[in-house]
Amino acid sequence: MLIDLHPANRVLDETLRERFNGTPEKLGQLKLADFDGVSYKVSTPDSKTVLHVSMYIACFAQLRAYGADDVLRREYGNLLEQTPEDGFDVTVKIDLENLPENKEDLIRKVSLLKRNALAAPFERAFTAQQEGNESELMVIQYRPDEAFYIKAQHDRVTVIFSTVFSEETDRIFGKVFLQEFVDARRSPATQNAPQVLYSAREPPMELRGLPNVVESENVGFVTFVLFPRHFVGPAAEGCISRIQLFRDYLHYHIKASKAYMHSRLRIRVDSFLKVLNRARPEQPDDKKEKKTASGKTFTRKETIGRPLSPVHDLSSHFQDPLHNPSTYGHCHL
Amino acid sequence: MTHAPAVVIDNGTGYTKAGYAGNNDPQFIIPTCLALRESQGGNLSTKRGIEDLDYFIGDEALANSKTYGISYPIRHGTVDNWDHMEKFHQALLFHYLRCEPEDHHFLLTEPPLNPPENREYTAEIFFESFGAKGMYIAVQAVLALAASWAHGKTEQTLTGTVIDSGDGVTHVIPVAEGYVIDSAIKHIPIAGRDITQFVQQLLRERENSIPPEDSLEVAKRIKEMYSYVCPDIVKEFKKYESEGDKWFKRHEFVHSVTKKSYTIDVGFERFLGPEIFFSPEIVSPDFLTPLPQVVDEVIQGCPIDTRRGLYKNIVLSGGSTMYKDFGRRLQRDIKNMVVARLRHYESVAQVNLAQDQQIQGKNVDVNVISHKKQRYAVWFGGSLLADTAEFNSCYHTKAQYEEHGPSIARFNKVFASIH
Repeated sequence: MLIDLHPANRVLDETLRERFNGTPEKLGQLKLADFDGVSYKVSTPDSKTVLHVSMYIACFAQLRAYGADDVLRREYGNLLEQTPEDGFDVTVKIDLENLPENKEDLIRKVSLLKRNALAAPFERAFTAQQEGNESELMVIQYRPDEAFYIKAQHDRVTVIFSTVFSEETDRIFGKVFLQEFVDARRSPATQNAPQVLYSAREPPMELRGLPNVVESENVGFVTFVLFPRHFVGPAAEGCISRIQLFRDYLHYHIKASKAYMHSRLRIRVDSFLKVLNRARPEQPDDKKEKKTASGKTFTRKETIGRPLSPVHDLSSHFQDPLHNPSTYGHCHL
Repeated sequence: MTHAPAVVIDNGTGYTKAGYAGNNDPQFIIPTCLALRESQGGNLSTKRGIEDLDYFIGDEALANSKTYGISYPIRHGTVDNWDHMEKFHQALLFHYLRCEPEDHHFLLTEPPLNPPENREYTAEIFFESFGAKGMYIAVQAVLALAASWAHGKTEQTLTGTVIDSGDGVTHVIPVAEGYVIDSAIKHIPIAGRDITQFVQQLLRERENSIPPEDSLEVAKRIKEMYSYVCPDIVKEFKKYESEGDKWFKRHEFVHSVTKKSYTIDVGFERFLGPEIFFSPEIVSPDFLTPLPQVVDEVIQGCPIDTRRGLYKNIVLSGGSTMYKDFGRRLQRDIKNMVVARLRHYESVAQVNLAQDQQIQGKNVDVNVISHKKQRYAVWFGGSLLADTAEFNSCYHTKAQYEEHGPSIARFNKVFASIH
């Protein structure tokens, strides 16, 4: 099933697995991209056995202000380089000759580089809530025109996404989707899911008066209200992984629905074409081939009134058809 | 976002090569196939859930072939089922490459003689469904030419003859100044699969230690690991008979079921496999023209002012051109043909001329270019071109699409320069 987007980067995962298990060889340079304008570079600048994985993420300055450094240090420890490579924000250095016992774990960790960097503000908010504090409103401008906002309150954590729909149809799809979230929550299976609020155009109360909040026709705001049961203990990891991919998830499903609509359109057009192809215009009556009682076929030449000449393919059959009106009557049937 | 690299996708009949521009190798080489639930295509109105996302692509599709139905949306290089193709792209972009199509430009490829309607359908998928920022559809042969520049020794020209041999069919495509000369294209029904089958047949006659269920796999491995092209088949046979120890190889295989190992002598099939390009009569009763002759015929079918350029730059692309010395043999055979013809014309012309007016024909350069990126040449060429600044002025943007409609995708500007 291709419903969820995976938090790990697949190319990184596969590249590392190949490197870890194969013989070290010179890697030119691998340039990759991920959602939200994130890009990676994998290279071996110094020696064949030392792999550098660098990531560029547009909002890193903001993330750093919310403690991204600590989270990354916790996850990657000594692998993290003090000064990242030029043009990148995070660099992880892996010595292929000194791999840890658990290679899979390292592969998983590195392929989650983006996820871990973005996790910082969430973790900070969750901790603040646990301690019963309110946090400041954290703003992460993760795309040029889109941002998410996190705020911890004494009993909950609010996460607000602003998202831009580049197309009119996308906006409508998005609206239907987001309203569906509200309805879906009524079903018993998802009673415990976080509350989701959607507002088009107008930013929710929390964001009123904030600078850089774009208000326009094609901007939508989605608010998640997370209660402690959503993020305490083991739930936190999954919660962070999923919620930060929300924007991409939404857009992915809008596109999937459009693809689905397209396939329905194609099926419908095909069925119309079938009908059209079946619908051959009928030949007018007089052009049709007719049969005599004895099984011979003929076509009538004249339309209305008495024919002037004998019907040619019958002429051999009747000696003098002109003077034999009864045969005429026969033919006309 | 200036950071976002272009995405290059080369959809082939067998495999799809996809990755980000600027890299040397495609990041994904996956079978172009989908695994779908059988019930799909039934009554649409009964579907209310998310069944439309219950599918897999590539290797995962093949792994799930027991419970799902497998569909191959591309046949003979052209897209056959657009529904499936759209789904394939969707999964490829979001789950494999992980790119938001609204942020990226796309470079796609098309086979020779692709109907222009297909370009429109592709544009519809990329602009309507995915909202791509920009899209360009390149001809595979032109990209293969561009890939040969990496070789470094030749000038950067978009005139040349491309020999593209994959698994199913071999194309010989002349390209002049970036435009394919459609009328002269020729196809040869001999390609990788035929070589594998031939090797398999040879092995079956000689070796009795190969378990029948593994024989195709063994043939494939032998073809890929040991095959080469010999200059003269008779001499090669003599070599093997006189110094067998030196030429026969032994390879150990492991039985796929019992895991027991067995050894196989690898002999004549080493050079006989690829030989079917040069002497097709040894395998096929209905196709008898050797590859060098087909190439020569193709070039002779092109406008006369392009022919020198086409002989000078014969580029190989695709996995079935990777055999050792393939290029060298091809070059020798074509050269012989061209020189013989030139001499013939000379002698015919000289009969009618006075002694002091005798003319000499100018020799024709014949070059067959092999390079390291041959296997995924088309993708690599795309990766090179999409990484240049010039690409930015060539793709169709979403705004243009909305202004003019899908028909803009019919024409794709030729561009070729690496700065």
